Amino acid sequence: MSGRARADLAALAALAGLPAMGPRRLLALLRDRRPVDAWALAVADDPATLRRALGGERDLATLARAWRAAADGVRPDALLRAHEAAGVAVLAHPSVLADPPATPGGPRYPQRLVDDPEPPAVLFARGGLVPDGPSVAVVGTRRCTGTGAGMARELGRELAAAGVHVVSGLALGIDGAAHRGALDARASHPEAAAPVGVVGSGLDVAYPARHRDLWEAVAAEGLLLGEAPLGARPAAWRFPCRNRLVAALADVVVVVESHVAGGSLHTVHEAIRRDVDVMVVPGSVRSPAAAGTNQLLAEGCPPVRDAGDVLVALGLVRGRRHRRVESRPAPGPDAAVVLDALGWEPATFEHLAVRCGLGLAELAVALEQLVADGWVSQHGGWYEQRASA
Amino acid sequence: MLGLVPSATLLGADGHAVTVEVHVTEGGLPSFSIVGLPDTSCREVRDRARAAIESSRLTWPVKRVTVNLAPPTVRKVGSGLDLAVAVALLVASGQLTAESVAGKAFLGELGLDGRVRPVPGTVCLTEVLGDAALVLPAESTEEARLAGDRVLHPVRSLGEVVACARGEEPWPTAGAAGPLPDPPPLPDLADVRGQPMARYALEVAAAGGHHLLMLGPPGAGKTMLASRLPSLLPPLSPAEAIETTRIHSAGGFGLPPGGLVRVPPFRAPHHGASSVALVGGGTSLMRPGEISAATNGVLFLDELAEFAPHVLDALRQPLEEGVVRVARAAATVAFPARFLLVAAMNPCPCGQGGQPGGCRCTEGARLRYQRRLSGPLLDRFDLRVEVQRPRPDDLFTSEPGEASSAVAERVLRAREQARSRGVRTNAELPAGRLDEVAPLDRAATDLLLSALRAGRLSARGLHRVRRVARTVADLAGHHGPIGAAHVALALSLRVDLTGATPHPESVAG
Repeated sequence: MSGRARADLAALAALAGLPAMGPRRLLALLRDRRPVDAWALAVADDPATLRRALGGERDLATLARAWRAAADGVRPDALLRAHEAAGVAVLAHPSVLADPPATPGGPRYPQRLVDDPEPPAVLFARGGLVPDGPSVAVVGTRRCTGTGAGMARELGRELAAAGVHVVSGLALGIDGAAHRGALDARASHPEAAAPVGVVGSGLDVAYPARHRDLWEAVAAEGLLLGEAPLGARPAAWRFPCRNRLVAALADVVVVVESHVAGGSLHTVHEAIRRDVDVMVVPGSVRSPAAAGTNQLLAEGCPPVRDAGDVLVALGLVRGRRHRRVESRPAPGPDAAVVLDALGWEPATFEHLAVRCGLGLAELAVALEQLVADGWVSQHGGWYEQRASA
Repeated sequence: MLGLVPSATLLGADGHAVTVEVHVTEGGLPSFSIVGLPDTSCREVRDRARAAIESSRLTWPVKRVTVNLAPPTVRKVGSGLDLAVAVALLVASGQLTAESVAGKAFLGELGLDGRVRPVPGTVCLTEVLGDAALVLPAESTEEARLAGDRVLHPVRSLGEVVACARGEEPWPTAGAAGPLPDPPPLPDLADVRGQPMARYALEVAAAGGHHLLMLGPPGAGKTMLASRLPSLLPPLSPAEAIETTRIHSAGGFGLPPGGLVRVPPFRAPHHGASSVALVGGGTSLMRPGEISAATNGVLFLDELAEFAPHVLDALRQPLEEGVVRVARAAATVAFPARFLLVAAMNPCPCGQGGQPGGCRCTEGARLRYQRRLSGPLLDRFDLRVEVQRPRPDDLFTSEPGEASSAVAERVLRAREQARSRGVRTNAELPAGRLDEVAPLDRAATDLLLSALRAGRLSARGLHRVRRVARTVADLAGHHGPIGAAHVALALSLRVDLTGATPHPESVAG
């Protein structure tokens, strides 16, 4: 790699870490400049020149000051070396850096993003090669039901097993469950497709912290991508940008559960901008967690009943519907009554007691057995049926 | 001239005998001084007594008046000594003879027109007056009777006292105590339709003395349920009735007709309550708080998470010991505080968070909300149930609710079982005795083991579940080792707080 290209790459990494440096601003700064010049300009505290570069933005004086302050103590070359030491590849968009210094065998800038209407000027990647082949984004609400999480995990598992890369945002709820499913598939079939996690913070800042293990597993089995350099905190503005990348990297976006105003609807919006198909898992009309997804169905998105529907949309199979092998012990007579009364909507112990007419003790025993055998999950006093163990 | 009259003052929930000494002399300029640790309201006796004396067509001595409240080491609070001061002053100024009031103690506050008003704590004050006949406000007669047999002279005004002392009228005497009127009926469990689990949780709470936390959205009937709990508890024993009555009397919480608190009290302080209002204290009054007023009954804290955290933390020691010790510079007092704690809260700020996928709160807001409750306090709740609004169709298809009296019978039998084990309730069973009094059969052990392995139960939670299972078995009239059904039910009565455990789909493996 030439020293000049290295310096440019280092400047790109440093630029991406400035506060409020969204993808659009970054591209504007880089329009007629080499990254090293853009870095020099960004941190010069020179609102007048910035105005010429960024156009008619309002409070440029404040922004210039903030960038100047944030640049204190940042040395681009040291930052680049830190990324190399941590095994994080810095990938530049071809229009920004014509001869990108490629690491043989490492990730390359994804082809799908090269032609994107709003591509990231620079990407940070941990893990293996950027996948070729079909990929599907499985997204949804953080505050999901057990049924939704179960569905996301099943989709993740079966899509990955069918050779489809599962792209998601590594968030709590649906996103995480989809990744867990893809990892399940990797654990049982080595040829299953690798998961792709797109995150809104530095690749070393696991967010949510509860998902640190998931980050590591996705990085080990697949690829972790982000637009922020190491150490960047998960600022709120980064998540919509993350959602656009999730949509841009997918052939199909599957929404499992979404409230009426959820972040996953933003992903849907970005997918529609890019002509990426959006498919939706139908939910109960009574479930607030499915209100947004059911709205999408009403607006004409095709439904997803299982992974087969997605594979058909991808053109991978024609109308194949596989039969699930049931490995759980069959429920006893009381348990069957309870399962029937439970149906596919969350219910409390009390709802079930009223509906199935069993005594409280019999009901408690039946539910304990159903939970132990994997038929039912229990969460904060609410019971939900599980589609698979 | 000197006047000596016995009376009593209240500190916490204990009476202290006080001798009111009044000295009147011609020497020096006319003045009025009062010594012997009076607080402000006590010091104001001067103005009340003067007006009352003049309204009663008696003479306020234009002389040097000294009032001493002996013993001078005990702080005197409130207006209960008014009548005694006025009578002693009349003796000291020669308007009454010492003999005419000998052997009589006086209690009561004076109005400016000379009327005699009741004061809080009559039960506790009367107890310490030895065998003196007691002249007291007529309204306090029933309360004073609870402190034992003695001669009572209920009066309505200072003028009446003077007339009796001068022999113009006979001292009025309290008639024989009539039978206590029936207490007003308590809210009945039969009013609750549906909600079988919440009803059962109340029954277990009442039978085993297990503290209960109800989680649920607004409008689920949590307050309605909690207020039915006193009707499930056994009526107070005579000793318990006196204990609770003393607190209610001393704290001015109001007494029922007949004076004696015979049904378990139900106290529901608002979540804005200060820690003094809740646990008791105050700078000089040392008044018992709501938790003591709930002694032998139910303390209901609605919107638990809205109480100030330091107020809730102040509950931990009394919950542990059954007694609250309030220490102030002036004195340290102990109040009984043995109550059944029932609390209700929304699962999250928006109130819908119990239902999976139903919550509109951010993750951070939920965590902040749940962090308001300290782990050690939550740990005290053996029973944690999710209470949902019953669905309208459930309301109509469900059986009509069982009445409180039927449930109370089962509760009584279960409590007798607990007493046979040497504790008041199963909640007090020491962990070391569980193997002896609450042995588990094979299936019950397996069930607990699988709950422990799945992380649904902690080692500490294990003891609590075993105690609850014991109560469940007692209620079912089951005497052998505890079975799987009892343990399963005990586990269902202990939901983890929302969000404490993730969906099984969102964890590895």
